[in-house]
Amino acid sequence: MSYDTVIELRNLVRHYTMGDETVKALDGVDLDIGRGEYVSIVGPSGSGKTTLFNLIGGLDKPTQGNVFIDGVDISQLDAYELAWLRCRKIGYIFQSFNLIQVLTALENVALPTVFAGTPHEEGLKKAEKLLTSVGLGKRIHHRPGELSAGQQQRVAIARALANDPAIILADEPTGNLDLQTGQEIIDLLHGLNKAQGLTLVAATHDLKMIKASDRNVWMRDGKVERIERG
Amino acid sequence: MRGEKRMVYFTISDAVRLGIDYIKRRFQRTAINVASIGLANSFLTSLIMTDLFYATFNEYQGSSIGVDAYQYWLVAVALIVSVVGITNAMLISVYERYREIGTMKCIGALDQHILMLFLVEAIIQGAAGGIIGYFLGVVAAVLSSGFTTGFNIIFMVPIIELLGYLVGTTILSILLSIIASMYPAWRASKLPPVEALSYEL
Repeated sequence: MSYDTVIELRNLVRHYTMGDETVKALDGVDLDIGRGEYVSIVGPSGSGKTTLFNLIGGLDKPTQGNVFIDGVDISQLDAYELAWLRCRKIGYIFQSFNLIQVLTALENVALPTVFAGTPHEEGLKKAEKLLTSVGLGKRIHHRPGELSAGQQQRVAIARALANDPAIILADEPTGNLDLQTGQEIIDLLHGLNKAQGLTLVAATHDLKMIKASDRNVWMRDGKVERIERG
Repeated sequence: MRGEKRMVYFTISDAVRLGIDYIKRRFQRTAINVASIGLANSFLTSLIMTDLFYATFNEYQGSSIGVDAYQYWLVAVALIVSVVGITNAMLISVYERYREIGTMKCIGALDQHILMLFLVEAIIQGAAGGIIGYFLGVVAAVLSSGFTTGFNIIFMVPIIELLGYLVGTTILSILLSIIASMYPAWRASKLPPVEALSYEL
């Protein structure tokens, strides 16, 4: 590694078996993502965006090939190390927010700090600070059901930041939001990327996100079709 | 990332705190499980107590009344039915929480943490059902045997014996609740995160 690369994908292949058929969700992807870069993964549904997202995030295992995060091949990690990676190195943001419904915004954001071993009080303080920074300082005791879609996504962003990860992975983060709210979320993510040097990888087909990113990786049929500078 | 200590943490007290949150905010399902254990235990307790009251009565009166042995078989069936009912309710609760389990795994939970979370809930349910069932059972026993032995019979039984049965039947209830929850909890813990996250209820 010469340049400061944080994510390296080498000949990444993921096949699914459905009955007798083999579906090639990913069919040999090579990609380097630099530290602090904002990369959009773009493509029609079924092009392998989400599969790529899952593999980078250590949520799924490749059929072939390797994912290196900070130079470490994550397929070599045991369950403990993988959990640590998900907890400390990567923050996840989903299209459908995936907040825990029974917990308040504050508890949701503090949850990753529990797994990181942060003392409870300290984790809550950190969560409150993060919620304030995403503009929800007055709603920390609300449950997800009492918040709008945009506010829920803000909570999810705050949760993704809870353990100061190096990488933020976002899967269609604006997919369930209206134009205005989507733009606000993009601005928030873009700001974090620029201000804190967070590496941001977002699967999307939202034109607003594509415009904001440093690089766009176009996927088609499980392959990288082209890469363009944003 | 090499050289750093790669640890994730989730203590029993974290599990208890989260477990209580779940129970408080999804009270209905918990209430059904607690009622199921509670009824089974109240049946068991009422039999044991009636037996105990009769034995105490016999000591004083020199009589020989007792509980029919087949009733204990009925209790055994009641306990088994309650275990099956709880297993069913817990499985539904796992399905409801598919996405949440996936989310927890995304933010650092290991299989054993998910397992712990479900078992803590099982223990709380078992304890609550056990204690409630015990007191219902004592009341039922006093009412059913009181006409023969006199209602003050309960004061003739040593209090330590009553407490002993409270502890014993509560432990049994907790064990049954754990047994009933083992399979659902194991299934929840083994869920692959990707599958759990894409699950639509």
